Amino acid sequence: MTMWIVVIVAGIATYAIRFVLIGLFGRIEVPPVIERALRYIAPAVLAALTLPAVLSPGGVIDPWNAFVPAAIIGGIAAWATKSIGAAIIVGLPALWLVQAFFS
Amino acid sequence: MNSSEHATWSDGVRAVSPILLGVIPFGLIFGVTAATADVPLLAAWASSFIVFAGASQIALVEVMDGGGAPAVAVLTAIIINARMLMYSADTGRYTASESLWTKLGVAYLLTDQAYLVSTHRFPDPSNAAGFVRFYLAGGLTLWTTWQISTSIGIVAGTAVPASWSLEFAIPLTFMALLVLAVKDRPGLFAAAFGGATAVAAVGLPYQLGLPLGTVAGIAAGMTSERWFK
Repeated sequence: MTMWIVVIVAGIATYAIRFVLIGLFGRIEVPPVIERALRYIAPAVLAALTLPAVLSPGGVIDPWNAFVPAAIIGGIAAWATKSIGAAIIVGLPALWLVQAFFS
Repeated sequence: MNSSEHATWSDGVRAVSPILLGVIPFGLIFGVTAATADVPLLAAWASSFIVFAGASQIALVEVMDGGGAPAVAVLTAIIINARMLMYSADTGRYTASESLWTKLGVAYLLTDQAYLVSTHRFPDPSNAAGFVRFYLAGGLTLWTTWQISTSIGIVAGTAVPASWSLEFAIPLTFMALLVLAVKDRPGLFAAAFGGATAVAAVGLPYQLGLPLGTVAGIAAGMTSERWFK
């Protein structure tokens, strides 16, 4: 029962986060400074998601773990092809290779 | 005009299909986490359409499984999902003149992937109609994939061998989106400072590094604009 309440409350809160600015945007004038800030959301949040996940897969920072070279190779594949699928198709086998040779 | 409208629906599905390679393992991982945790399985499964946000769903299960307080579980989910407030602000520029029902639907389908792919494809908010069709097509594809993959994970996910390291598909997806999102030097500054701050914050509780890194990255991007004029 507690888990149900937790899921429903978290669901309502998450939906509120998603909706509030979509719902308000047509009615309020957005200050130019906010418009400028919005342009940097994507690079900032993606780097904040990616770098810790790659550098500390076990919760402790380890620059020598197998994710680091595999993620760099996947990133180069994405940059060269402008494709997300390429990053996975190249990056996942790269990880298997690194793990096979260095573990 | 008509043909381009039709193309945009299928464009949306096609644009998110490579990302599904990252979403499916993520869904399986959530399913396995829920199936092996000491939480009511039906409630954990229902979070896929009630919450519909993978990282926070895993956090809900882990906090409750570890005997955490319900308030801590909910707060953790809110902190992890706070970044969607920024997506909501940006998406609102595109949906300003849409109906309330469209706005409610767009909000429900708001995820990292739907937002980032759609704003990458439509950088200019004046093309609202194209954006909304593209976004809804992609968002529904992602939603359906998430429901199916989390369900399979709950039922049969333990059969996926750990040696495949499928969980790595998630950072790979974000890595690729990051590479595509950095379009100029201020954007590169935002990414560098956001990433460095989040790495420095590894070990802080409640995944606080994510909101801290995001704010630091945005500030760095805005500050660096004057150097690159």
